[in-house]
Amino acid sequence: MALFPLHSNFQGDFVINVVAVDDGDTMDQVAEKCAYHSVGRRVQAQPGKVMRVRRHQDQSLFPRAMKVLESKLRPTETIDIVFLDE
Amino acid sequence: MALMNREEWYDLTKLTNWTSTYVGEEDIFPEEMSGCRGIPMEAWEVYDEPYKVSYDEYVCTQREKDAGAYSVKAALERDAFVDRADPGWVSTMQQHYGAIAVNEYAASIAEARMARFAKAPGNRNMAIFGMLDEVRHGQIQLYFPHSNTKRSRQWDWAHKAMHTNEWASIAARHTFDDIMMARDSLAVSIMLTFAFETGFTNMQFLGLAADAAENGDHTFASLISSIQTDESRHAQQGGPNLEIMIANGHKEEAQKLIDVAIWRSWKLFSVLTGPAMDYYTPLAHRKQSFKEFMQEWIVAQFERQLLDLGLDLPWYWDTFINDISITHHGMHMGVWYWRPTVWWNPAAGVSPDERDWLEEKYPGWNQRWGRCWDVITDNINAGRMELTFPETLPTVCNMCQLPIVGIPGDDWDVKDYQYEYEGRLYHFGSEVDLWCFKTDPQRYQHHMSIVDRFLAGEIQPMDLHGALTYMGLQPGEMGDDAHNYAWAAKFQSEVA
Repeated sequence: MALFPLHSNFQGDFVINVVAVDDGDTMDQVAEKCAYHSVGRRVQAQPGKVMRVRRHQDQSLFPRAMKVLESKLRPTETIDIVFLDE
Repeated sequence: MALMNREEWYDLTKLTNWTSTYVGEEDIFPEEMSGCRGIPMEAWEVYDEPYKVSYDEYVCTQREKDAGAYSVKAALERDAFVDRADPGWVSTMQQHYGAIAVNEYAASIAEARMARFAKAPGNRNMAIFGMLDEVRHGQIQLYFPHSNTKRSRQWDWAHKAMHTNEWASIAARHTFDDIMMARDSLAVSIMLTFAFETGFTNMQFLGLAADAAENGDHTFASLISSIQTDESRHAQQGGPNLEIMIANGHKEEAQKLIDVAIWRSWKLFSVLTGPAMDYYTPLAHRKQSFKEFMQEWIVAQFERQLLDLGLDLPWYWDTFINDISITHHGMHMGVWYWRPTVWWNPAAGVSPDERDWLEEKYPGWNQRWGRCWDVITDNINAGRMELTFPETLPTVCNMCQLPIVGIPGDDWDVKDYQYEYEGRLYHFGSEVDLWCFKTDPQRYQHHMSIVDRFLAGEIQPMDLHGALTYMGLQPGEMGDDAHNYAWAAKFQSEVA
């Protein structure tokens, strides 16, 4: 378990943010940590939708339960967080 | 004894080149300082500066300019304009002085490099005057704001900003190091005087002088006009060098220098001039939008000048034209949201009337940047102020050192151009910033952005407080909303 810095490109936001996650976090936990710096600050919450994580500019989503260590993301890589229907 | 007219002796005396016998040409003009790229000595003697001036004429003119600007300042001192000026205009001035004044001093070093190492005698002559110009610009732009330090410590950042690790200062230093401090004499003449000064600052200063007069700030207007007349002279040093480079088969190299410098200048403009024109300037005093200003004064002028010289438009011209409607809106929101990290009080500029103006000038603004401002406005009006302040850093570009921004809201389009070089992952805010890096990776690769420094543990504690301390921002210096959030309250009264 170690700090793992990522860059969060959150759907609807105007800027990419530095977000520190844990390498044992699941992708749902990563999305929550990224949302903390965007949702309710500059991005409207979207009740009923789920936040999903993908590699930046990639169309395929990481499984929600996948851990950061398993994702082959590298430290300081940029990820997209997008709202999708459940 | 009657003095000869300048035109009778100038062309003869300017040719101060001679054939050295004690030392070689390479010893007098080392390539790393002169940067003449193999073009022979005699080729530089055709350099014909378009603006000819003697030292005597220069001193007389400068004395008059200084006397004019300083006397206007003295006469209007009791008027205390600053105390009744719109806070948005005060912010524009504080931002301007901090970003520009000390860099003018730095520019005198770049001019001195040309004065000593340019192989073209005319370039050396002009650069001596340019060097003196820049010393004057540094001094006058430190002296004028100094009289306002009694009003707020933010004015002190005219001198302080460039000596700190404040993020905008890092961005400005990175750009100016690239185009003037760490380039050879020839490159300085092209990147600083042709691209930055002719293309951007000359027009910026004309616009700023008009804005100052419009805002009733006659002290600032006279100061800026006084500087602009110098700029329009010494900015002409690059043109004749470009002609010589092209005539001697170095068009491609010249084009690359211009393309890098124009892009780097543009990015700095997008965070300094864009917000000032479209958000800080009171609505009643706005003559044209930043986009209109860029199209009329910068784009059109560059297109004409580049094509007149036989050069091409930069390869990214379409991207640039597109960006002048987009990038500065994100830069502004970033400056406002991270407002404790700047030395001026950013004016939000998004009251109901101002949003109507933005929508008119930038169709679609409300469904893009407006979506984010909606959330911010609601938070202010609901008293959730903690949500209007940052708790992390924005990702910054490893070239321009500015936040990586894009289009938010319904048309969400924010892109990070990631690039791995020798095992390190770099982040760039645009394809062009990445291209600048690729033109000379070894030049840029070791620079640490403020985010790199943060992640390397150089900023402690690793939170906003630690970041503010690292940036040198003390209480009374950190920015806050220029109008104390009065703009947000107007939405409440509209609802009521």
